[in-house]
Amino acid sequence: MNKSLVSFLVFVVGLAVFHNAIFPIFTPKEVGWVLNRYVYFLLFVAYVIITNLILRLKPPIAMNALFVWSLGFYFYKFVLYPPIPWTLFITYMVMWSIGTFLYVSQDPETFREFRKPIVKTIVGEYKFAQIIMLIAMPILVGFATYNSIYPSYQEPVELRTVHPAPPATTKVHGKTYPLESTNNPFRVDEQDNYKDSFPFLDADKTEYMKYVTEGGTIFFQNCHYCHGDQLNGLGMFSHVFNPTPANFIDPGTIAMLQEAFIFWRVAKGGPGLPNESTPWSSAMPPWEEHLKTDEIWKVILFEYWYTGWHPRTFGTEGSEG
Amino acid sequence: MNFRLLNNLKHMGMNMNKNNNYIKRLIFSFLAVALIVVPGTALAQQAPDAIKKDLLEKGKKVYFKRCVWCHGVEGGGDGPSADRLFTRPRNFIQGTFKIRTTDSGELPLEADLIKTVKNGLPGSAMPAWGEFLGQDEIVAVVNFVKTLIQDRDFNDTEDEEVNIMDFGTNPWGTKGPYHLGIPQADVDAGKEIFIKNKCFECHGGEGRGDGNPTMKDDWGFPIVAADWTQCWNFRGSRRDAFNPFNVVRTISTGLNGTPMPNFREQITVEDRWKIAAFVNSLCPRKNIDPLTNKPIPDFLIQSVYTEGPVSPKIDDPSWQSPDTDSRIVAPPEEIAENPKRHYIAMAGQITRGKRNFDPKTDDLWVTSRWSAEENAVYYLVEYHLRFMTDDPEYPDAVAIQWPAKLQDLFGAEKPYFIMGDSKKPVDIWKASFTPKDYSATAAPNEKGYQLDVSVEETVGFGFDALQAKESEAKVQVVDSIYHQGRVKIMFKRDLATEGEFDVQIPTEQFIPVAFMQWSGRDKEKDEHNAISTWYYTILKPALPASLYYMPPIIAAIFVVFQGWLVWMTKRTRKMYDEGKVKRDELPK
Repeated sequence: MNKSLVSFLVFVVGLAVFHNAIFPIFTPKEVGWVLNRYVYFLLFVAYVIITNLILRLKPPIAMNALFVWSLGFYFYKFVLYPPIPWTLFITYMVMWSIGTFLYVSQDPETFREFRKPIVKTIVGEYKFAQIIMLIAMPILVGFATYNSIYPSYQEPVELRTVHPAPPATTKVHGKTYPLESTNNPFRVDEQDNYKDSFPFLDADKTEYMKYVTEGGTIFFQNCHYCHGDQLNGLGMFSHVFNPTPANFIDPGTIAMLQEAFIFWRVAKGGPGLPNESTPWSSAMPPWEEHLKTDEIWKVILFEYWYTGWHPRTFGTEGSEG
Repeated sequence: MNFRLLNNLKHMGMNMNKNNNYIKRLIFSFLAVALIVVPGTALAQQAPDAIKKDLLEKGKKVYFKRCVWCHGVEGGGDGPSADRLFTRPRNFIQGTFKIRTTDSGELPLEADLIKTVKNGLPGSAMPAWGEFLGQDEIVAVVNFVKTLIQDRDFNDTEDEEVNIMDFGTNPWGTKGPYHLGIPQADVDAGKEIFIKNKCFECHGGEGRGDGNPTMKDDWGFPIVAADWTQCWNFRGSRRDAFNPFNVVRTISTGLNGTPMPNFREQITVEDRWKIAAFVNSLCPRKNIDPLTNKPIPDFLIQSVYTEGPVSPKIDDPSWQSPDTDSRIVAPPEEIAENPKRHYIAMAGQITRGKRNFDPKTDDLWVTSRWSAEENAVYYLVEYHLRFMTDDPEYPDAVAIQWPAKLQDLFGAEKPYFIMGDSKKPVDIWKASFTPKDYSATAAPNEKGYQLDVSVEETVGFGFDALQAKESEAKVQVVDSIYHQGRVKIMFKRDLATEGEFDVQIPTEQFIPVAFMQWSGRDKEKDEHNAISTWYYTILKPALPASLYYMPPIIAAIFVVFQGWLVWMTKRTRKMYDEGKVKRDELPK
């Protein structure tokens, strides 16, 4: 049998067996040092090389090039995880194709050998291949043209500023608060002392837990629909709104903000945002319409207690969870 | 001896005061007799999972940080949030749990409760805790919750027993996430069983839960039957919405505390799987967001260009399209070109004015066509509504909201999504309707109910600044029906109109659009409604003519290029052969 054909079959059948039978073994739920997809890929490459060497198949350089190129395609398309976006895939494949070309054109002899089957196809020495190419390629080009002309519509992408610059002061319920120097009046003690305290049960014993309990009560009557029972922005209505509700567990929200900033955001809500933060689609209510000033502060106190974050204060950067 | 009756009796016993212990014992002795007498109920029988005392301290800590807010200090389902939730949080005191693998009226397995905590109860406020808490914390809090049960006792091996039900196995071996490929014959057989067992009495003629408006749970709170066409909201869906096992489990075990009985006497295990196949076939396959457990909304509503006039009839073939995402199941050939049915997520309006914490609808489905000949656009808005009202003071209603001054908006700018703002008004097309000859308790009506519709056009400068338009009304509702728990309203309006605050609808442009819905039975009115956020709609142009002539032209050009390549290569060959040109020589 033709050795090139054997080599081709070794590759194609091998890939089918590896992909369908062995790949699932190497992608368990718990990824290990051996049982992972990259080890699997190396195994497949080793299989191709070793089989070709042992059987002394010595496939022609054009076929080698095909194998190398296909391995790259297979890796980027199926093995690499997480899957990469389409544009990145194209970029990688262009690089990989250039690399494959460099490999075949490393010296004039291999390059000539590489060209040989192509030239033979073009001039018609491989009659069958020539006919297929002359018919198939124009049809493919026609389809590609059709696909590129066919109109498709994607919703416009909209960017917004998540944490806009705050104003210098905010007026809530008739009283003006300078944002730089306002602190939470209910932060009566060090938060970390109450890590293991119980809301409700300890509300009578310590002032701090009394405020936390009151804040939590307000949170779970008003806020959890969007910000979630876990304060992770995945409440039962969260999927409806765009922008999606803030996730307080995330280090990029309350953990890096001052309490006065949050007070301003809670009191003024979506309509109080500047234009770059799309005030028209934020579902955050201006809570001054529904809550008293004290209640707003208690909710904020609760959010920090629940998530374990500390509010940012002047002179310190960030916080520890 | 009627086993179900006994189960119910036993169940009622559970809800009585725990001092009535002798009644409990009496009922249990009856039950024991029943188990011996009734054949064919061979189940795995065991004592309930005892409380693991060493975990209680840790469990208490978790409970009082995470759970107490809804389930309450004593587990009575009366935490601060409870009164604003529909479905209400579980009251643990009676030991009544809906989602179990044990027989009706029995305590759940510990594994059942762990699964509930891990996966949450979709369609309610109970979130999935599996990614949030560690396994040890979940087991601990479940054991703590067991101690909150006052009327029964997990450690009581004398009076309590649990019988794990026999569920059989999936006879078709279908796989998630969509469980496609169940033979139509089994689905049809399932429908027969559905009719025979009168499931429609509660679940409605097409399974939208529109059968019985008077149901109450064990605590006297109103309760509705599941809407099978929104299986992602099944409490027991375990974040695997399309899996027929969920339905088999519910039919086999019933839902304790609710009017849902088990059917294990009436329906064999094999038939339960068939009924599950039928129930699941009603649920459209949509891409479910794993974080929120809801279908991913279609943020762009594509209005399809229509040759000639658009049919104003909802039943017309040109308006038919599957609820299922056509990327998951290809639609039949004859409707493949029809406009898509877009999924619009809805929530209670909980932002301004009178807030709505328990909306009766959580999605709308919108289909659209437009016609250049008529110079008009049509929007078919559909939504599931279990029960309507005939109270003219609070009619059911649905509305489409547009920026009134589209031409004045700059960039991504829009009016405030809750009925506009003082600077940027919105144009609201609201259809209010009451059904004719309708009774919420009547048997399913295959023909559906005609609606008395009235259309109002309103300019919104904010939810508290709505003005009826002075200009002549332009929006029409050309067809409407309420059919088997689904409202269908077809709006029509000319693209260009004269009114000052009428939206002028351009083609081939992204136009912001939002939706609102009012439920009459819930006495919703004005801003007390359900809303969506801003979506976009686009009136797509006709397919360009170039689509038909460009591909052959490009292909022909390519053929010419190929011919040139062959000619050139042959010519070069010939020149080599004749010695006119030397082949590239290898370096020595």
